Amino acid sequence: MTDPRHLREPAGTTGPSRTGAVRIAGLSKRYAMSGKSMTVLDDINLSIRPGEFVSIVGPSGCGKSTLLRLIVGLDTDYDGEIRLDDTRVAGTGLERGLVFQDHRLFPWMTVAQNVEVALLNQKLPKERRERLIAEHLALVGLSDFGEAYPHQLSGGMAQRAAIARALVNEPRVLALDEPLGALDALTRVKVQAELQRIWMEAGTTMIMVTHDVDEALFLGDRVVVMSPRPGRIARVVDVDLPHPRDRASPLLHRLKDEILGELTREPREEDGTLVSFPARSSHSRSPS
Amino acid sequence: MSLRLRSVSLALLFPALVLGWWEWESRQGAGHAYAFAPLEQVARSFVEMLLDGRLLLHAGASLQRALTALLIGGSIGIATGIAMGLWRPFDRTAGPIVTTMRQVPILGWLPLVALWFGNGDGAKLLLVSLSAFYPTVLNTQKGMQAVEGKLAEVGRLYGFTRLQSLRLIAWPSALPLIFTGISQALAFAWIATIGVELLFSATAGLGTEMMAAQVAARTDVVLVCVACVGVMGFALNQLFALLRARLLRWQPAPGN
Amino acid sequence: MHRPSPGKAAIRLAPVLGLLVLWEIAASTGIWPRQVLVPLEQVGATLFALGASGELERHLSASLYRLACGFLAGSLVGVSTGVAMALSRNVHRLLWPTFTCIRQVPTIAFIPLLILFFDVEDSFKIVIVSVASFFPSALATHDAVRDIPASHREVARLYRMPLAPFLARVILPATVPQVLTGLRLGLTRGWLSLVAAELLAADSGLGQMMEMGRQLFQIDVVLCGVIVAGLIGFLLDASMVRLERHLSRWRTAT
Repeated sequence: MTDPRHLREPAGTTGPSRTGAVRIAGLSKRYAMSGKSMTVLDDINLSIRPGEFVSIVGPSGCGKSTLLRLIVGLDTDYDGEIRLDDTRVAGTGLERGLVFQDHRLFPWMTVAQNVEVALLNQKLPKERRERLIAEHLALVGLSDFGEAYPHQLSGGMAQRAAIARALVNEPRVLALDEPLGALDALTRVKVQAELQRIWMEAGTTMIMVTHDVDEALFLGDRVVVMSPRPGRIARVVDVDLPHPRDRASPLLHRLKDEILGELTREPREEDGTLVSFPARSSHSRSPS
Repeated sequence: MSLRLRSVSLALLFPALVLGWWEWESRQGAGHAYAFAPLEQVARSFVEMLLDGRLLLHAGASLQRALTALLIGGSIGIATGIAMGLWRPFDRTAGPIVTTMRQVPILGWLPLVALWFGNGDGAKLLLVSLSAFYPTVLNTQKGMQAVEGKLAEVGRLYGFTRLQSLRLIAWPSALPLIFTGISQALAFAWIATIGVELLFSATAGLGTEMMAAQVAARTDVVLVCVACVGVMGFALNQLFALLRARLLRWQPAPGN
Repeated sequence: MHRPSPGKAAIRLAPVLGLLVLWEIAASTGIWPRQVLVPLEQVGATLFALGASGELERHLSASLYRLACGFLAGSLVGVSTGVAMALSRNVHRLLWPTFTCIRQVPTIAFIPLLILFFDVEDSFKIVIVSVASFFPSALATHDAVRDIPASHREVARLYRMPLAPFLARVILPATVPQVLTGLRLGLTRGWLSLVAAELLAADSGLGQMMEMGRQLFQIDVVLCGVIVAGLIGFLLDASMVRLERHLSRWRTAT
C-alpha cells in the first residue's frame, strides 16, 4: 500500500521510461450542420508524458469532451494526428479507457460482472481474470460490493465501479469525461481524494475533463485551459506540487485565480477578423 | 374505532350489503329465484363442482388453452419483434400489417376464423394466440428500439462484436419491455380464452360451462364460474409479477 | 407535432395493400372455393349492396345506439365513483376492495350472468357496455384525482370552496387528460364487448350480422362486418384522441 509520507513526484521526471505517452498534433475537427461548417476543435497541440495527470478545463462549447472521444477512438473523423506511444490511434482499443460522467454500468450485471465484461475480449485464463477483478475492486474500495447491482449503489460508489471497469484492462491512458459531475458536492470531494489515490497506485496516464477548477488543480500535474468556439488551447498551467496534494496550498489558490481570470475573460470577436487567440504552449512559471 | 378495524369493516360492509340485498331478492318469489340464486345454493354448487371434479376439469382446460396460446402467440410475437428491431426492411413491412390487423378486435376475427378453420380446438387456439401475439410483438419491438446508445458506446470501448453487443446489451435492455409484453399477453390470453369458449361450442372450459349453465338457467353455477375466472386471472397475474421480480431483480423497485 | 404527408402514409401502408393484392390473386385462381376465399370485388359488391338496401344502416344504428347508451351510463357512474373514492377516505375504504376484486373478472365473463338477468334484448347489451366502460373510467378518474397535488386541495379548503365550484374549477381541469384516456379505453372495451355480445345473442346489430353470415356461409357478409367493425373501432378511437388533444390544449408539452 502507498505510504502517504512517500510523496509522489510530478510525473515523468524519474524512473524508467513507461508507456502512456500521448501526442496530439494539429488536431482539428469540423462538422457540417444544415449547410454550415462548424469548427469544434482548431489546431490542438498537446504532449502528455507517461503517467501524467492532465486536467482540461473550459466553458461549454470548447470541445473538451470531443477531444476525449477522439483520443479514445469513439470518433474517428478528424484532421491531424493523435499518437499513443508513437503509434497513431485508430478506432477504439483496450489500451485507451474512458470513464463517462454517467457511470454507464450495465444495470443487469453486478459490479463484479461489470468489471469482468471489460475483459471479455482479452483472452485471459480464468484465474488471472478473477485476480484482476478482485485487485481492481480493492483498488477503488468496493471489495465488499462485488455482488451488488448498480441500482443499489450510491452515485459515488457507482462511479468508482466505473473507474474499476475502466482500469481493469490496465490501459496505457485513461480518459475521464467530467467523472464527478453527477455527484453532490460532499461526495465529490471525497471521490477526488480517492481518484488521486487510485492514480498514484495505478500509475496510468490520465486525462480528465472537468468544469471544476479546484478539482482540476487538485488532481492535475498540468491544467489545460481551453477557449470555446472554436475550441482551442488558450493556456497550459503547470502545477508543480508533489502528490498527495494539500488543498490549502497557497499555490493552488493563486493558480485558481489565474485560471478563473482566463476563463472569464471577454472572448475576442471571431467573425470576420483574423485575430486568433494566442495559444501559448509555454508553461507559466510560478514566482518562487 | 382503530383505523385498521374501520378499514376492514367498511371493506366488508359493501359486499355484505350486496349479499344481503341478493338474498332478499332471491326470496321474492319463483321468478326472482330464477336469476337471484339463493346464496346457500351457490355455496352448495361450489362444493359439488369441486368434489366431482367438474371445476378442476373446466378450470384446467381453460388454463391449458390460455397458457398454450400464450406460448405460441408469445414466442411468435417476441421473434417477430426482435426481427423488426434488428432488420429495418422487415420492420417496414410487418409493422403496418400488424398495426392494421390490430384495429380489428379479436372477436371480429372469430366468424372469419370459424368459417376458414371450423369450430375445433385449433381455431380457438389460433384466436387466443392472436390476442397474445399483439402485445408481445409491439412491446418487444419497442424494447429493441429502447436500447440505449450510451450503453452501446461502452460496448464499443471494449471491442464488443455484434453478437456480444446483442447478447450483453441489446437483449437485457429489451427484457423489461418484453416482460411487460408477456404480462399483457397473459392477461389478454386469459380473457380471450373465456371469450372464445363462450362464443364457440367448446369441449371443456369455464366459458363453455358458463354458457351451458346459462342455458340451463343455473345462476349458481354461473356465479361459481365467474368467481373462478376472476380468481384465476388474478392469480396468474400475481404469479407472473413474482416471476418478473425474480428474473429482473437488477431493476430498481418501482418508485425509486 | 407535424402530420405525416399523405405520400408517406401511403408508403407505410404498402405492405397491407400488397397483402390485399395477394389475396385477390389467390382468390381469382379458384384454388379455394369461393365461399372460403372470396374475391375482393365481391366483398365490395356485398358491402355496397348492404349499404344500398339499408340493411347495413339498420344493423349499424342498432349497435351504435346500444354503444352510446351503455357508454354514457357506464362512464357517468364510473367517473362519479372514481371521484368519490378518491376524495373521500371512507368511500374508498368501502368500495375499493370490492372494486378491485370485481375488476379481476373480464367483462366478457359477465355475459352469461347478464343474459340470465336481462334476457336477450337491448337492455343486456347496454348493460354489458356500461360494465365495460365503468371500470376503466372509474379507475382513470380515481387515479387522476389522487394524482392532483395535495396543495391544490389545501388551497381550496383554505378558501372554503363549496363542492360544486371545487369540482368544476379545480378537479375537472387537472384531471381531464387522464380521465379522457380512461374514457377512451372504456369506449374501446365497450365496443368490443358489444360486438361479442351481439355475436352471441341478438336479433340485430353488427355482431349479429356477422354471425348470420357465418351460419349461412356467406363469408363476404362476414368480411363486411369485420371491416365495418374495425373501421368503427378505429374511428371511435381516433375521435377520442382528437378530443383529448383539443381539451388538453392548456397543458404545456411535458
